[in-house]
Amino acid sequence: MKHYKFYIASILAILAVSCTKVIDLKLGNDTGKLVIEGNITDVSEPQYIKLSRNVAFNNTNTYPAVTGATVSVSDDKGNTYPFKEGPSGTYSINLMNGITGSTYNMTVLTNGASYTASSTMPSLIQLDSITAKTTALNSSKNQKEITVHFKDPAATANQYRFIMYVNNVQVKGVFAFNDDFTDGRYVHNELREDDIKIYPGDTVTVEMQCIDKIIYTYWLTLMQQLGTDRPGGAVAPSNPPTNITPATLGYFSAHTTQTKTIVIK
Amino acid sequence: MARTIILILLFFSVISSFAQKRYTISGTNKDEATGELLIGATVKIKELPQIGTSTNSYGFYSFSAPDGEYTLLFTYVGYETLERQVLLHQSQTVNISISPGNSLKEVVISSNKPNNDNVASPQMGLEKLNMSQINQVPVLLGERDILKTISLLPGIKSAGEGNTGFYVRGGASDQNLILLDEAPVYNASHFFGFFSTFNSDAIKDVSIYKGGMPAEYGGRLSSVLDIKMNDGNNKDFTVQGGLGLIASRIKVEGPLVKDKGSFMISARRTYLDLFLKASSDSTIKGSSLYFYDINAKANYHFDDKNALYLSGYFGKDVLSLKNTFGTNWGNSTGTIRFNHIFNNRLFSNTSLIYSNYNYTIQSLQSTDNFKATSKITDLNLKEDLQYAMGNDHTLKFGLNVLHHTIAPGDITTTATSSFNSRSIEQRYGFENAAYVSDEWKANDKLTILYGLRLSGMFLLGPGTFSTYNALGNTVSSITYSSGQSVKTYFNLEPRFSASYQLNDDNSIKISYNRNTQNIHLLTNSTSSSPTDLYVMSSNNIKPEIADQVSTGWFRNFKDNTYEFSAEVYYKKLQNQIDYKDGAQLIANQDVESQLTYGSGRAYGLELFLKKKYGRFNGWIGYTLSRTELKFDAINNGNYYPARQDRTHDLSVVGIYQLSKRWSFSGTFIYGTGNAVTYPTGKYNIGGLTTFSYSQRNGYRLPSSNRLDIGATLEGKEHKKYQSSWTFGIYNIYGHRDPYLVTFRDSKTVPNTTEAVETSIFATPIPSVTWNFKF
Repeated sequence: MKHYKFYIASILAILAVSCTKVIDLKLGNDTGKLVIEGNITDVSEPQYIKLSRNVAFNNTNTYPAVTGATVSVSDDKGNTYPFKEGPSGTYSINLMNGITGSTYNMTVLTNGASYTASSTMPSLIQLDSITAKTTALNSSKNQKEITVHFKDPAATANQYRFIMYVNNVQVKGVFAFNDDFTDGRYVHNELREDDIKIYPGDTVTVEMQCIDKIIYTYWLTLMQQLGTDRPGGAVAPSNPPTNITPATLGYFSAHTTQTKTIVIK
Repeated sequence: MARTIILILLFFSVISSFAQKRYTISGTNKDEATGELLIGATVKIKELPQIGTSTNSYGFYSFSAPDGEYTLLFTYVGYETLERQVLLHQSQTVNISISPGNSLKEVVISSNKPNNDNVASPQMGLEKLNMSQINQVPVLLGERDILKTISLLPGIKSAGEGNTGFYVRGGASDQNLILLDEAPVYNASHFFGFFSTFNSDAIKDVSIYKGGMPAEYGGRLSSVLDIKMNDGNNKDFTVQGGLGLIASRIKVEGPLVKDKGSFMISARRTYLDLFLKASSDSTIKGSSLYFYDINAKANYHFDDKNALYLSGYFGKDVLSLKNTFGTNWGNSTGTIRFNHIFNNRLFSNTSLIYSNYNYTIQSLQSTDNFKATSKITDLNLKEDLQYAMGNDHTLKFGLNVLHHTIAPGDITTTATSSFNSRSIEQRYGFENAAYVSDEWKANDKLTILYGLRLSGMFLLGPGTFSTYNALGNTVSSITYSSGQSVKTYFNLEPRFSASYQLNDDNSIKISYNRNTQNIHLLTNSTSSSPTDLYVMSSNNIKPEIADQVSTGWFRNFKDNTYEFSAEVYYKKLQNQIDYKDGAQLIANQDVESQLTYGSGRAYGLELFLKKKYGRFNGWIGYTLSRTELKFDAINNGNYYPARQDRTHDLSVVGIYQLSKRWSFSGTFIYGTGNAVTYPTGKYNIGGLTTFSYSQRNGYRLPSSNRLDIGATLEGKEHKKYQSSWTFGIYNIYGHRDPYLVTFRDSKTVPNTTEAVETSIFATPIPSVTWNFKF
């Protein structure tokens, strides 16, 4: 439903004589803020919560780790899972898995402040398959785009996030969808991106996550902001709404995960 | 009720005329060559220059003067001044026709003493453009454009390169009331704002009110753009048209019954899709990309007192990618008007107006096919009366009953689609208003225009209406039956402006006006998009309110050849609308849950110097302004600059008639960049470089500037036909005006990020058009 903007943008790009250049900007410096990225999946594997701080735009993409924090997750059955500090601000627990329908609470104690967040792991919706087809535009170049296929269950609100890798490199893009328009349908969802061009011979891996509502809004806000780099772009960007209290950068998500890989023919 | 008012007024008029032995002169003022009624032409008594008036939207004027023998002076920009002797021993009708002047004859111009209306009139914040200027100002691809040209006036800012949206004194683009022959036009742009819906061939008069709106206008906060179509030549048949790079147009007009009735029909179509046919890509080749519009009008004058006008507009944009995607959208409007002159003091106009805007979006692939439609339909009955009471008062009063039907979204799909069919409840409501205003010439120096408008918004069932809390969660849900009242708002809108004339060439004016708005545009894209959605004030959305005060100094030089004005304004905005994070506006039953409310303020200084007459004419406009918004959830609840906040804005327009055949024109614009939000840091989330922000709209795009030039070559004179060539170069020095700046991982230096500026139309863009008339 939202793809119409992509088509309109493609046509505008043909119409308007547009050009781009890299520019130098003096940007403000509101840095050193705590970033928390916590995930609990339904697969029995090490689970990670990463703590770091943001840096200035003109710095390199290396982010200072936050060490010495106390990190734990508890569930609604009274279990508490302490996370152990590892290298570069990564806190982890070995072989733990979340259960769909359960609510998980994260607590992070650092520098005398306590941050909490909670997330409920939604039901697992089966990822049926992923397929590739030739793009509508530039079809002569045999460029491909990826579609994911799954059956959305009727009468429940479901939210999905996909992560795509082409030859083991993550595509720079956010793919977040809900079933607002697709409730109960067999869904074919195109993962449209313009970061890595996909051609026959490439190996494409897609991870599907079933996420809760707040986390969906988080990813959707990021996705809408990434779409601003073309004519007709969206609203003023802002930090996506977090589920962490007190508010800081990042999120805590309990979600399911499944992966499928294809080699493009 | 209306009858009683009329009777009372008649009674007063009889009293006043007896008391002062004054007689009324009334009539219509027309173009001699075509019979077009002239709007805003001045009528004055030469011997008593303080007495006079100007013609209304239907070319009618009425005023009174003491018993005597006088010379009447009829003046209109670009026309020869006409003098007419009258023996005023009884009230009488003086219908006149004046002929277009020749701008090359400077002598004629100085002898016909242009009028000083802009100094004398109490109206402020009003700009009028004449069509010959609009037609000479150079524009993108040679498509003459009213909306682009008005954005060259102070206080009016274009929404950005290639965008027809405009902002008036800091107001949002949906706060402009755009009227085409009284019918509101909801989406005034073609191709996402690259062109406007108004084909200037069909347009007679353009007025824009930035402040001090007279009480007869209402419904939007910031401005009124009142566009009147040509009536059609009632003397001769003519055909005119033009062939341009991207569009062609044709207009036919002529008498239906000579001197009594005429018609005009004008059409335009673009052929950009021909360029697509040249593409090697089969999908692009099979795509559509065009718009067309048709303006039509007919009128019939039964006698001197009764006239009927029919006018209509129909326009459509079509855009599709072969087998993939298609969208089309358009406006249609229709107006039936009946003018009746009760007597030489009382003029009436009754209008029945229809307006519709709709769009369709279609996905054509079997796995995700859908067809989504949305529309808004207005039906409007208006009664406007104008009454000249004594010599000192011109009263205007009227009623307006406007019915809205909004169908926010209908989605149909097939079984193979990923999408469900869905239909969102339609919404119904009335926007009604009553107004009265009086223009009172208190004495030789002081003129006051004051009035009051009562507006009522009535949101009606049937339907289920939910009320949402600040988090967007449903608090209650009530189902109403057909016609049942859901929510009613009344607002009183005082309007006041006054001018104090220091002398013939100098005046000071002040004004205050309150405007309210009950229909709101929801859009989450920065350019005008066909999916723009309209909602009425409701149980969740309160009417938007604006209060504006302004004052100004008006000065004419050199026998009114030069006009100068300096105006300052302050505007307070209440109940403004913004969106929550991740807002979903399309076909959303709970769209009102996605909104958040705030306030705003705007203030500024506008300087304007205009030369209206002569071989060389044009203007310089400069605006210094600030526009700020305040929402609890944004910027910690502090004021922040609105996107359209533009500190400095300068436009220079020059038109020079070199010889009988050659004329040249140029425009230069300079403006502070839009207020934008840039990152103040970055971090990594989900494997992606992500930017952090701390202040809404805390940065500026680089300033923009551009020079466009144009030239017109009139063909050699022929008895049977005329032709001309128009040449233009848009952005002649190829300035890269920044369109947007984005941030991303660097493509050249690993592990760093970069800022990227995108410009559109960053190279000189030439155009040529051939025009003909026979």
